[in-house]
Amino acid sequence: MRFTIFQDSRQGDRSGNEDRVGYSFSKEVLLMVVADGMGGHDQGEVAAEIAVNEITRQFQQEARNRLRRPQDFLVTAINAAHRAIVSHAVANNLLECPRTTCVACIVQAGVAWWAHAGDSRLYVLRAGQLAAATQDHSRVQQMIDAGTLTPETAATHPDRNKIYSCLGGVVPPIVAVGGDWTLEQGDTIVLSSDGFWSQIPASLIAGLLRKQDIVGLLPGLITEAHRRAAGESDNLSLVAMTWEAQDDPRHADTQTLEDEQFTTSSNTMELDRPIPHEDVTDEEIERAIAEIQDAIKRVPR
Amino acid sequence: MPSQVNQPLPGGYVLNGYRIDKPLSSGGFSIVYLARDESGTPFAIKEYLPSSLALRSEGTEVRIEDEANLSTFRHGLKCFFEEGRALALISHPNVVRVENFFRANETVYMVMQYVRGRTLQFHIQRNRAEFTETFIRRIFIHLMNGLREVHANKLLHLDIKPANVYIAMDGRPVLLDFGAARITLSDEPMKLKPMYTAGFAAPEQYRFQPGELGPWSDIYSVGASMYTCIAGTPPQAADARLEKDRLIPLRTLARQSYSDELYSIVEACLKLDHLERPQTAFELQKLLMVEPQDAGRRRFLDTLNKPISKFFSR
Repeated sequence: MRFTIFQDSRQGDRSGNEDRVGYSFSKEVLLMVVADGMGGHDQGEVAAEIAVNEITRQFQQEARNRLRRPQDFLVTAINAAHRAIVSHAVANNLLECPRTTCVACIVQAGVAWWAHAGDSRLYVLRAGQLAAATQDHSRVQQMIDAGTLTPETAATHPDRNKIYSCLGGVVPPIVAVGGDWTLEQGDTIVLSSDGFWSQIPASLIAGLLRKQDIVGLLPGLITEAHRRAAGESDNLSLVAMTWEAQDDPRHADTQTLEDEQFTTSSNTMELDRPIPHEDVTDEEIERAIAEIQDAIKRVPR
Repeated sequence: MPSQVNQPLPGGYVLNGYRIDKPLSSGGFSIVYLARDESGTPFAIKEYLPSSLALRSEGTEVRIEDEANLSTFRHGLKCFFEEGRALALISHPNVVRVENFFRANETVYMVMQYVRGRTLQFHIQRNRAEFTETFIRRIFIHLMNGLREVHANKLLHLDIKPANVYIAMDGRPVLLDFGAARITLSDEPMKLKPMYTAGFAAPEQYRFQPGELGPWSDIYSVGASMYTCIAGTPPQAADARLEKDRLIPLRTLARQSYSDELYSIVEACLKLDHLERPQTAFELQKLLMVEPQDAGRRRFLDTLNKPISKFFSR
């Protein structure tokens, strides 16, 4: 598989970051996931953290070579994450179970599948157009479907943050699935939390992607989303992947990975833990950087 | 070893609060970018990225393909730290200043002051007529101030050449790129081969016996740089000179007249036997400050403290 991947998660104007993002891939399968821990509930970031960790863990267990049924896997993994969050609440005597939204995507054999619960979104962008998207599990989306609200007015509706499916809730999440999407070169899949998608329309991303790749475009676009929120920005997170020409040697090829080897990146604490190494440890690197920083501060300039 | 080329970070990419403008240069071990902080102040950011090892052909993270390489990558990282550590301790107008140092994208970054100006190399190619004796002596006397400071911090530069000397807008020479400094640090054979530039590296650098390296190795490179200022072309490479010394005497190449003393100083710096060279930057600096015998036509010491900028009227 050859693809370009990008992810970032920023705090926005909130006091903490309750969003978690992650991706993991082996030779043949890619997982991307975004979870948006819900404000107003205790420990939203804990729920998001457990969701990303649990789904990634399941992925690495199941996808050693390839997933037999990617869509079933997604539903199972999201439900397992829900149960893990509930168990965490029970084990820690939490008065209220922490909650999170979740959107996850699998790419395998040139085909993408996705699943979500809540209002974190997935877009498929092709040739400058929005080609597919998830439908939010939100009150305003229900009203739009019923024809009582237009997408424009939904953006400012007082109930725009109310969702009816999430992980960690009293009832198990409603998991919507989509995909079986055969990727073509240049197709871009974007998963994002509402902090990002509420400010940047899909059509804008799609249009800009005709001129720039995700790595060049998205960092600036996140900054723009933050700016547009005018000091009230929610956490901003996204994971995006562009499917590259499969024979283009300029893009790294997952075939160089060993069997059963995963490359994983996430902003969760657990998955972030660096691999220890005997000759130069991470502690040594951190210490060296601290020393240099210290010297820079000490020596008068 | 994969033959992929490391991709530079894209313009607009925001790195730890610095927005990448464009790559300025890329060498065997690093890419240097022009970047700006939030206030718009420009900086030169050096990214540790040995081209033989690390791999970034997608995204922004640096990926290392196998475990043995990871170890070498990390070893090189240690050397990059040594460079940062040494430079952080130096605060001198003739040595590039380190402003920040951080970790990101699975590698490390050194933020340096961005010196506006041109390299000495650029001036040699464009302004041959400006390279009067007074000018050359002045540039190198100032540069020796910086080099003395470097050596005082137990660091060797080991890649001094006109391309690594910046002439700032105010005429001040600034020593840049301490990327080669790593080879003082280890005597074990490793994948990170020392970098040297033919013509400027001392003969002992080719033998790669760290015990032989010392301030005199940098002096050789300084001599070669002065030679280039006068001749317009670097001297014969030291490894070739060890086989058969065909160093062309400077006076036959000089395009304008210089004192015999200056020729002797340059030749002394370029001695193959390191014991015959000036042994320290201070010693060379003193030699450069001695007024030549027929001083009537060049009273360079009188002008030493005047700004050099007037020499670059363009």
